[in-house]
Amino acid sequence: MQKVLEGNHAISWGAKASDVKVIAAYPITPQTQIVELLSEMCTSGELDAKFIKVESEHSAMAAVIGSAAAGVRSFTATSSHGLLLMHEMLHWAVGARLPIVLANVNRAVGPPWNIWTDQNDSLSQRDTGLLQIYCESNQEVFDTTLQAFKVAETVSLPAMLVLDAFFLSHTSEIVDVFGAETGKKYLPPFKPVDFLDPDNPKAFGNLTGPDYYYELRHKIHKDHLRAIDVARRADAEFGKIFGRSYGLVEEYRTEGAETILVTSGTITSTARVVIDERRERGEKLGLLKIRLFRPFPLEDVRRVLTRARKVLVIDRNIGFSIGGIFAQEIRSALWNTRVHVPLFSFIAGIGGRDVTPGVLNEILDIASAVEYPEQETYWIGVKDEELSYTGR
Amino acid sequence: MRNFPIPEDELMTSGHLACQGCGATQAMRFALKALGKQTVIVMPACCWSVIDGPFPHSAVQVPVFHTAFETAASCAAGVKAGLDMRGDHETAVLAWAGDGGTFDIGFQALSGAAERNDDIIFACYDNEAYMNTGVQRSSATPFGAWTTTTPHPHTKSHPKKSMFEILAAHRIPYLATASVAYPNDLVDKFRRARGIRGMKFIHIIAPCPAGWKSAPEKTVELARLAVQSRLFPLVEVWQGKYYLVKKDLPYKPVTDYLSQQGRFAALSEADIGRIQADIEERWEELLRKEQLGGPVPGNA
Amino acid sequence: MSSKKRDFRDESEMPLSAVAADDMRWNKTGSWRNIKPFYDPKTSPCIASCPAGENIQGYIELAREQRYEEAARLIWQNNPFPAICGRVCYHPCMDGCARGSLDRSVFIPAIERYLGDYAIEHGLREKRPEKTLDDKVAVIGGGPAGLSCAFFLAKKGFRVTVFEAKPLMGGVLRYGIPEYRLPKTVLDAELKRIEDLGVEFRPDSIVGKDVTLEELGQYSAYFVGIGLQTSRRLGIENENSKGVMAGLEFLEKINTGEPVEVGKCVVVVGGGNTAMDVARSSLRQGAHVTVVYRRTRDEMPAIEDEVHEANEEGVHFRFLSTPVGVIAKNGRITEIRCQEMELGEPDESGRRRPVPKEGAYFNMPADSLLVAIGEKPESKMFEAVCSISSGLIVTDEYGRTSNRKIFAGGDVVSGASTVVNAVARGRGAAEVIAAELSGKQFDPKKTKKVVAIADLNTAYFLQKDRAQMPRSDGARGRRPFAEVNMGLTCEQVQEEMSRCFSCGVCDGCDNCYVFCPDVAISRHDGTYTIDYDYCKGCLICVQECPRGILSTESEGK
Repeated sequence: MQKVLEGNHAISWGAKASDVKVIAAYPITPQTQIVELLSEMCTSGELDAKFIKVESEHSAMAAVIGSAAAGVRSFTATSSHGLLLMHEMLHWAVGARLPIVLANVNRAVGPPWNIWTDQNDSLSQRDTGLLQIYCESNQEVFDTTLQAFKVAETVSLPAMLVLDAFFLSHTSEIVDVFGAETGKKYLPPFKPVDFLDPDNPKAFGNLTGPDYYYELRHKIHKDHLRAIDVARRADAEFGKIFGRSYGLVEEYRTEGAETILVTSGTITSTARVVIDERRERGEKLGLLKIRLFRPFPLEDVRRVLTRARKVLVIDRNIGFSIGGIFAQEIRSALWNTRVHVPLFSFIAGIGGRDVTPGVLNEILDIASAVEYPEQETYWIGVKDEELSYTGR
Repeated sequence: MRNFPIPEDELMTSGHLACQGCGATQAMRFALKALGKQTVIVMPACCWSVIDGPFPHSAVQVPVFHTAFETAASCAAGVKAGLDMRGDHETAVLAWAGDGGTFDIGFQALSGAAERNDDIIFACYDNEAYMNTGVQRSSATPFGAWTTTTPHPHTKSHPKKSMFEILAAHRIPYLATASVAYPNDLVDKFRRARGIRGMKFIHIIAPCPAGWKSAPEKTVELARLAVQSRLFPLVEVWQGKYYLVKKDLPYKPVTDYLSQQGRFAALSEADIGRIQADIEERWEELLRKEQLGGPVPGNA
Repeated sequence: MSSKKRDFRDESEMPLSAVAADDMRWNKTGSWRNIKPFYDPKTSPCIASCPAGENIQGYIELAREQRYEEAARLIWQNNPFPAICGRVCYHPCMDGCARGSLDRSVFIPAIERYLGDYAIEHGLREKRPEKTLDDKVAVIGGGPAGLSCAFFLAKKGFRVTVFEAKPLMGGVLRYGIPEYRLPKTVLDAELKRIEDLGVEFRPDSIVGKDVTLEELGQYSAYFVGIGLQTSRRLGIENENSKGVMAGLEFLEKINTGEPVEVGKCVVVVGGGNTAMDVARSSLRQGAHVTVVYRRTRDEMPAIEDEVHEANEEGVHFRFLSTPVGVIAKNGRITEIRCQEMELGEPDESGRRRPVPKEGAYFNMPADSLLVAIGEKPESKMFEAVCSISSGLIVTDEYGRTSNRKIFAGGDVVSGASTVVNAVARGRGAAEVIAAELSGKQFDPKKTKKVVAIADLNTAYFLQKDRAQMPRSDGARGRRPFAEVNMGLTCEQVQEEMSRCFSCGVCDGCDNCYVFCPDVAISRHDGTYTIDYDYCKGCLICVQECPRGILSTESEGK
């Protein structure tokens, strides 16, 4: 069934198609429409779920931790400060191995207050152990909701799907959606290994000393690694049933590419256009979209990027002093490969500033002008004459 | 003749890690006797996080979910929702928090659950300070008490937060205080709570010999004197309006209670006078509220 | 859940997350303990303070369950006279009773009396011993000491003969204590129980006259419990006047129904129980009675209740006064001259010594002067066979005299004492006699530790008023010698017994079991067991035991 949906509503539809049983959420711009629509769905009965309207995101995550521990499929959504407030509980959900799915609408972090898109909120959760999937379109958002549950439940880890504020969250596109009955073809009912069961009483999360904590953390690491192939199969299976799949990373026109641009989220869509244009002009350019950020699809990234002569990474986020966070990840992925590829790290679009074809062209121009990056990090479009790279 | 005809079932085992004479442990034992096996406990950071024992062991024989410090109420609400969605409407969900996880860090989530009328029992075993971390003051610490963060001579300068009145103001279906010295009463209250839908809050005074600097054998005595001195009256409130105050207990001056605890060793005569006066004022207020509310409705 | 400690050797054995499916019982927290509680049932303070060692707590417990017969029989194990002692005993048990620390001590004698009367009303008899022994034992003196000794010897199978100088058995119980305190029917009933046990009563048998020492020597052993017979005299001017009479002599007349004229104005000298009996009996003759006592009310040796009742009935008291002379007319008393006294330094009894006040004299009119200032023994006839000092027979604490075959007890050994003391001594001697005649070493029973009142937890007991003893019209009534204290009703006794704490004796209240934070106490068939594998030694069980059952010992860690 095709519908015109904004990204937020695509998530709501995705949660419905996943037949979630418990939702707990707290309003925050630009996530609000997700829970508004879910509230309506719960109220009308088209979605048979309990919606706990908590008093904070921290409680939202705590509540879905509780419901997931009780053995039912659980969902929440948030953004920015809400996600940061959840941070402690993200660690908790991971340690408790609860396959909760969380939708995060990427939004900048204050102060100052800023509601526009920016990845620093989600990337701040990098080491919680949460699985992270970055989406490019509203269709991908819908589809990824189901895929996220599939992967999360297979490896018993929580997952976060991430979409850009406004560019996706409030932008309407045609989305092919379906309901829970169809969803079941792909996502069977949740069957937890252990849950809070009075007939088989067990205690979850008791004090654990260095003797076992280490192994329990090792298990999470192993399952993260396992999740890469699980995610690949989950995507493939989705494709088999519904005809749409996205890969863990997506290569776009990388055949013969000497320079590969690495993007995530909606910048990818703009980049496709720019790549097409510059390919027309004979430039050997390609694009790599990172969809799965955690677990990090190391081999996929290596396979693509070690073929390139230059790697350009665009980050709508910043790890102060060290640079873009995707760039760091990719730089570290390319280490130990026996191949040395120069990596250009670009910061762009922070706080919701548009990353236009012009911005992307500027980036490509900078990289094409030199063999090797002259700076560790390029801040593109900063209102500072001295920092204008254009024309160099 | 048995003083306490409470259920025989033991859902808490020996071997737990509580200190000698731990009131919180007695409280758990009694609460579980009342609630029975069809119970899930949600436990935020508190003494019980340790008492319960190390992985892969647990001293309670019902499901326990250990959760973060501030999430007892919210996590319990989630567990309840989950159980409901599994079709299990019988199992009681017990949020089991210390005073920190109730009065301080857990306060927001508790207020949220209370306002939403989530169908859980929130029990606070109150030992009046952060005992698990080594006796730091909380907003449940009473006036004049020594803690490691209210050292002599600057013992706590403000009275304890009245959680009870705050919860009453939420007009939740059922609210009660209990003391480990009165197991029958405690068990009755948990049973009553189990039978009521919506938010239930039970505030239990649970002496801590280590933190109160009292003799371990005095735990029950102190829990009794707290009640008999009217410092911690036994009260039930339905819908925030209908009060029932237990009044037929012997009265003891608060000095009987204070004098057996090292944490109050530095109280002056004037301090004791202030505490006594406060008790009397609050007691009168409680009786006025009881009068004002009138008889407890039959359907309460 | 399993109670074994689970260890993982390999990561693959571990669950996905920290999920625990085993309990904590592997963790033997008993190793934390440095002081150990243990069940240590103790003697109730009432029992410890009863000279006869009656199992007061025990009979109350039985009676609370309406097992009155068993309760009465339990008393008989220590005292054959519950109906008597329930009336006349000075009840030191009540001074010992721990309930006094909460409100007022339990009215133990009223309970004992109820059970004694129950036994009488239901014609309960002590069981005869299964076999009769060859040894014959004689008892000299049919008072409480001798009868007690006879009773306990007979229960053991000895053939016992009691020689009594007077025409009837009972001694002071019959000839000393007036009817209004101890009805003769009650006395007779309890004596009959002894006789029914096979004890031979030989009244009108005066040693040296009706029975010789040689004859007594033919018994395997004999017990002397002859009490005190002779009243002390004041030693003042005109003491031989008509109208001056010894207290005991007066009481004997009253108790045997012999007519006695005391006139309208009676003065009684003395402050003991005999003085009270004399005063109240005189009152019942219609007289105006004044007791003259040289110290104050606080120093009076009489039972407090007796003084109180005498006062209530209208006996007057003149304290700090002592007669110094009798003023007689025609050989008959008309007035008494008294001197005022004041209290000086304490004497050897601990009471402040009365000292005459220089020049302070007064006269009192008197038709009779009844002297009750104490009695002396008549023990001369035994001088030849055992050692005697100041008229009292010398014994060890078990009643053994200097003569292996002769035992003694009661007032003739201790001087003026109490009925219950005599009963206790009689029983004690019976135990020794029985042991020695059977060739065994006498082994006094070891008594358990006595509960200290501080060891009780009275928080578990509610305040409750003591039962009120119903009274008859008393001295001024239609039947002045009718018994004053009429006894409690069954309901009253039950109420009163509910006030008993059962100190030192577990009644299965569950406090230890319920309050144990370590679930280390279990209950099976009404008894509790501490599991020392888990007991951390917090001692809440000790503290919360209402009855002081648990004791502690250091484990020195």
